[in-house]
Amino acid sequence: MGNVMENKINDADVLLDCRNVWKIFGSRAPAAVKAVIERGLSKKQVLQEFDCVVGVADASLQLRRGEIFCVMGLSGSGKSTLVRLFNRLIEPSLGTVTVKGREMSALKPAELREMRANTIGMVFQSVALLPNRTVLENAAFGLEARGVAKEKRNLIATAALEKVGLADWTSRYPSELSGGMQQRVGLARALASDPEIILMDEPFSALDPLIRKQLQDEFRQLTKSLGKSSVFITHDLDEAIRIGDRIAIMKDGLIVQVGTAEEIVTKPADDYVADFVAGISRIHLVKAHSVMKSVAEFRASHPNIDVHSLLKATPDADIGQLIDLTMQTDRDAVAVVNNGQVVGVVTTRGLLRGVAGNPVEPRVAA
Amino acid sequence: MDTTSLTESFDTWVDDGLTWISDNGEWLFDPLRQLLEGTYDGILWLLEFPPFYVVCLVLALIAWRAIGPVSAVLTAIALAFCAAMGLWAETMSTLALVATATVLALVVGLPIGIAAGFLATLNSALEPVLDLVQTLPPYIYLLPAIALLGYGPATALVATLIVAMPPAIRLASLGIRMTPHEFIELGHANGLTPWQMFTKIRLPFAIPSIMAGINQSLMMSFGMVVIAGIVGSGGLGETIYGAVRTLDIATSVDAAIAIVVLTTVLDRVTQNAAQRAKAGGK
Repeated sequence: MGNVMENKINDADVLLDCRNVWKIFGSRAPAAVKAVIERGLSKKQVLQEFDCVVGVADASLQLRRGEIFCVMGLSGSGKSTLVRLFNRLIEPSLGTVTVKGREMSALKPAELREMRANTIGMVFQSVALLPNRTVLENAAFGLEARGVAKEKRNLIATAALEKVGLADWTSRYPSELSGGMQQRVGLARALASDPEIILMDEPFSALDPLIRKQLQDEFRQLTKSLGKSSVFITHDLDEAIRIGDRIAIMKDGLIVQVGTAEEIVTKPADDYVADFVAGISRIHLVKAHSVMKSVAEFRASHPNIDVHSLLKATPDADIGQLIDLTMQTDRDAVAVVNNGQVVGVVTTRGLLRGVAGNPVEPRVAA
Repeated sequence: MDTTSLTESFDTWVDDGLTWISDNGEWLFDPLRQLLEGTYDGILWLLEFPPFYVVCLVLALIAWRAIGPVSAVLTAIALAFCAAMGLWAETMSTLALVATATVLALVVGLPIGIAAGFLATLNSALEPVLDLVQTLPPYIYLLPAIALLGYGPATALVATLIVAMPPAIRLASLGIRMTPHEFIELGHANGLTPWQMFTKIRLPFAIPSIMAGINQSLMMSFGMVVIAGIVGSGGLGETIYGAVRTLDIATSVDAAIAIVVLTTVLDRVTQNAAQRAKAGGK
């Protein structure tokens, strides 16, 4: 296992590497941890035998550079505990969290402070704006803690507030701002410190739907344009799909599935995930490559249609685009082309299956 | 051994102990008395040296800043009334006593309270002591103080100090412990040092509670300073005590009015300062 880990750490693309991390709460946690190592106890057994609650069980995930990684789970699933393990606000009971090649648990207090101040920013659901400070002073808080001179930090904080559209509010107090604006200040405060990784702990959960959607789009656009990486915690699958490049689904402290939105929607790992994704619209999630059938199959069922006469789409075209293309002709099929080669055909049956959420077409005897 | 003799032997032990302390503790109690009386004399000089209307004006200005113009005018009128009753010197002497006792109570009490806010063990050790100090009748502190420090303002100050300290300790400790959890997390997530955590997060959140403690300290001081008239505190306390002994009801009412004026002014000023601290920033 040591070798595997070194390989991963050397991989420059992995910013944050979380390996087999457990968090067990309770007075007998150390004994429970020992039992987990020695006897491989499950979460339930730990609760029965040691009266300890397992917050996070055997979680492994990697945050790649430039990626927004969403962790989705209902309350009590351990997602907020998990994100606090990443910047060591909570110490893991077992397992390792490595940030930029440095193991978090091994850091000395001063090193840990430096890591938190410079590399890992955090935005909270409660926002936690200091009520006795102005918006600007709040945004400059991280820089102030690092000892950046007042003029300089005000300049940087003002720029960060501009990025979130609050340039005119610098001298106001948090109580004068709406919930959405307060959360923008929280984001500006994290951005002002210019961290590579931003941990977002359900930042938009308390906002009303319209503002939430707006902030989701802004956050994604801002994170991408600034080249930041982010772990984004949410209880809302729609939000995870909107924002995340990859999504992890958590249940009872366990990560049950990690994948892109499309993977999770089209290939749910278990019934729990399947239930979750049941209500999600597939139109913009399911792509041509997962609903197409092979050219040979198409020729067999439609012998008198020339594949090359069909309208063409890329393998990444989503169902919405494929429907638009299909509607432009009377052919009822679209060719999927990759590097000039026709790699498959999407028929209306395929589209319907994609929309219905069961894209793998059972083989129908022609 | 019956219970009476048990009590008698305990009493003898207490008396002997006190005698021993006063015989052997001169090196400690003499400088202590000088320190207390020195501080008191200094503050008293500041209050007595200028003519009464200057002091009225200064206090009115403070009330203006802390509360508003109406309170400032009322303060000036009320204080001038004390002077009109011919009790100005006594009123200032009482103010000096209260100020000295409160300042000393805060100097000692706030650091202890803040430390207790951080150390749960210290806090739980202090709780019963503070309970005891606050439930014992305040007169109890006067006699040992007389034995050790003699008759005069120093004794009155020590007794007042003891009564004034508990609220400062309790509310400072409470304020430190009440820091909302999410702000502690914010501090950690931003890599704050323990000292930064104290000055930038815990203290700002504790200030309203600490200010309430200061206000409570002040009120306790006023209560005690009158009782301390018995041990020659000087000021309004002694005026009232003298009036009570000679059944001079009119004088005792005059002095009581002066006490009420002083207490009300200081209470409102500190309470408003506390509320301002709570409202934050502006």
